[in-house]
Amino acid sequence: MSEPCYDLAIVGGGPAGQAAAEQAVGAGLSVVMLDEQARMGGQILRQPPYEMTVASWLDARGYRALKRQLARAEALPGLTFLGRTSVAGVLREAAGFALIAVPTDSAPGRRVAARRLLVAAGCYDLPVPLPGWTLPGVMSAGAIQAFVKSQRLVPGERFVLAGTHPLQLILADQLVAAGGTVAALLFAQTPGAVAHALAGHAGAALRHAAPLAAAAASYARLRRAGVPIQFGRTVLAVEGRDEVVAARVGVPGEAGEAIACDRVGLCYGFLPQADLPRSLGATARWVERTGGWATVADAWQRGDVPGLYVAGETTGVAGAPAALEEGRIAGIAVARDAGRIDAAAAGRAAAEPRRRLAHLRGFAALLDAVADPRAVMTRLAGDDTIVCRCEDVTRAQLLAAAEGVAAPSDASALKLVTRAGMGLCQGRGCEAAVLRLLAERTGVGPEAIGGFTPRFPVRPVPIASVGEVGGR
Amino acid sequence: MDAADVLIIGGGLIGCAAAWHLARAGTDVLLIERGELNAGASGQNAGSLHFQIERRFLEHGEALADQAARTVALSRLAVSEWRDLPAALGDDRLDVAMHGGLMVAQSDDELRLLERKAALEARWGLPTRLIDGAEARAIAPYLADDVRAASFLADEGHANPRLVTRALAEAAASAGARFAPQTVLRALVPVSGGWRVTLRRGAADVEVAAASVLIAAGAWTMAVGALAGVHLPVFPIGLQMNVTERVAPFLPHLVQHVGRRLSMKQAHDGNVLIGGGWPSRLARGEDGFDLARAPTVLVDSLTGNLAVAAATVPRVGALNLIRTWTGVVAITADQLPLAGAVPGRPGLFVIAGGSGFTLGPTLARAVSAEMLGRSAGDAAEAMALVAPARFAHLNAMLA
Repeated sequence: MSEPCYDLAIVGGGPAGQAAAEQAVGAGLSVVMLDEQARMGGQILRQPPYEMTVASWLDARGYRALKRQLARAEALPGLTFLGRTSVAGVLREAAGFALIAVPTDSAPGRRVAARRLLVAAGCYDLPVPLPGWTLPGVMSAGAIQAFVKSQRLVPGERFVLAGTHPLQLILADQLVAAGGTVAALLFAQTPGAVAHALAGHAGAALRHAAPLAAAAASYARLRRAGVPIQFGRTVLAVEGRDEVVAARVGVPGEAGEAIACDRVGLCYGFLPQADLPRSLGATARWVERTGGWATVADAWQRGDVPGLYVAGETTGVAGAPAALEEGRIAGIAVARDAGRIDAAAAGRAAAEPRRRLAHLRGFAALLDAVADPRAVMTRLAGDDTIVCRCEDVTRAQLLAAAEGVAAPSDASALKLVTRAGMGLCQGRGCEAAVLRLLAERTGVGPEAIGGFTPRFPVRPVPIASVGEVGGR
Repeated sequence: MDAADVLIIGGGLIGCAAAWHLARAGTDVLLIERGELNAGASGQNAGSLHFQIERRFLEHGEALADQAARTVALSRLAVSEWRDLPAALGDDRLDVAMHGGLMVAQSDDELRLLERKAALEARWGLPTRLIDGAEARAIAPYLADDVRAASFLADEGHANPRLVTRALAEAAASAGARFAPQTVLRALVPVSGGWRVTLRRGAADVEVAAASVLIAAGAWTMAVGALAGVHLPVFPIGLQMNVTERVAPFLPHLVQHVGRRLSMKQAHDGNVLIGGGWPSRLARGEDGFDLARAPTVLVDSLTGNLAVAAATVPRVGALNLIRTWTGVVAITADQLPLAGAVPGRPGLFVIAGGSGFTLGPTLARAVSAEMLGRSAGDAAEAMALVAPARFAHLNAMLA
């Protein structure tokens, strides 16, 4: 069985992957793109299944440029798209990379070989442990949005949304438009903190009037629809025995009041998906505000492993428009490094994307400052609160394990002792919380402590699917 | 200058077990470890308690197989050691399970190999029972239909490598042993009445006088031996292992394969652990292998190991793989353990090489007795087989 060796493999069919594919295919390179969804789009443009048509799908103004990019990428001649496929891991080979690609329907996996690799794997919702957060009915903002965006499906009756990220405004607006009820929309930060963050990035605020105006419009629509929006309060605990029946809402440290609901959506921010680059040994930096690891890239979106490129949220969460520009630059860089265009042409082609990227990063910095979850998120978990939900490890168990003669001083050692991070999610869910806890105890920063050792596979995959991966 | 009766180099299972035995005997023990306790092979291995003659001894001719068979006595001692360990440590958290183990054969050639192995074991007194496929499936209904035969040993099983070393360390500390993790060995010099040891903690060097020294440094044994001016021929090997998601108990035994590399068991927490000696790639540095960096996963080992697992226990094929990890073990040139006094270096002892989890507690007990000047008792004859004296020729010309 002889599979081709592609010039470029792209992990992730979001804006960054699409833009890179357009550049690389345009330069005459053979390109394969892999994505867990059936269709391209990423989380920002989560498409309905092929079998389904959704009337006026994502027709808000903010999605238009991204939808044009998606249409161009889907029409690219010669781009091999492997949908419904997880990249379980990537291994270095003499000629480049071997991707272990496993279909999400448990069919046999295959080995996909490529000379160069672009990881544009996006981001995931920051998990914030608080009492009751593992009850069925507690969802991440991203999960709720995936339902609403792709199929106009409102996954619940009565929502309480809480967090620090402004995306909550858009989500609540979309929920209400799709027929859902938002019982409360809570921003954990005080109005003063928001004003302070805005003042610190006043220039960016002025230069990015459009997205701010869109947020203001969402705010106004929600108020008109009677959605209570409050600042300085958040969900302190989720109540219910087998599922969510209420959210306890108030100021951290106080008892709060119960609001009846069947869904709680948490939206404290987003973490880069950096496990593939990290598993290859690429350098990643700790993200101070949210935690998590952002893959380090040079001005051409190259990681510090030969042949590896990274673009979009994998390099630090900055939003879909910025991801698109990074993907474009990465695609130009691949064409240049493969000898298809010369340095001067690459420089000219990258100039405009870079200018736009610099502009967009200003807005991302403003969003980061407004959404800063640090003042709140570490005050929500009690001793009995589960931190690692795959293995049911509580904060108290982690603290107890960090004492004694064999006291672990790094995250991997603590994982060995407690099982935190050893479960199905591979530690994505608890790594940031475990590192914050260790940092608090040892006084050493998370970056110096170091995260869980990245391991194959980055997604759970059936034993038989991997056992059946063919030879070279 | 600090002082100790015994300095133990290495905070793995063997070092911590020896610290426990020696401290309980009233010895002043200082254990040093360059990183975290249990961070090497002791915590990385998959926790098999295997006592049947291993496949690796059968595939290199009669001489090696015969030699391995003679260490069956050690395996018999290890069975009692593991049976007693939970109670002795006053600790039921080691997840020791000894519900039997099967080594299976699927082809004609494998069946012949299994018969040869069973004959060797019978000669040296290991109560392995050769059974046909139907009887194997009666004991282990999860086995594939094409399993032709198996050798069954009632004492085999597994324990939890994440917990055992920590429990031993805590017991040793309770008995008065001192632990110095994050401490690097810089020099090991013989002096009158013992050894002078230079250690680095943080930025400072400290000197320690020790009457005797035990090297329990796993893959680093050769490097530590060089500091003491001796060849300790122990070689690093990179292995890789796999673990599935947690599922309800269905696999109470240790399952091995006589013809293909496979070792599989279901841990106390419900995960199925799959290994069996599949290689990973050791990191390479400028001067040879770089043990400071983790070995990398090899695709062929990954797919090969999981394919054998699913072919032997079909049900495993449907489980999700959640982690593949690599680790470094150390083996000697003749694949037998290296344990006992180092000839020509009074007060220097070593334990390393081969089946370190299964045999580690037994070897640590026996060498601790030797260091205390006590008889090794039942273990004496077996310990002679694994004594460093067999490699004395390597050191005959070293000053």
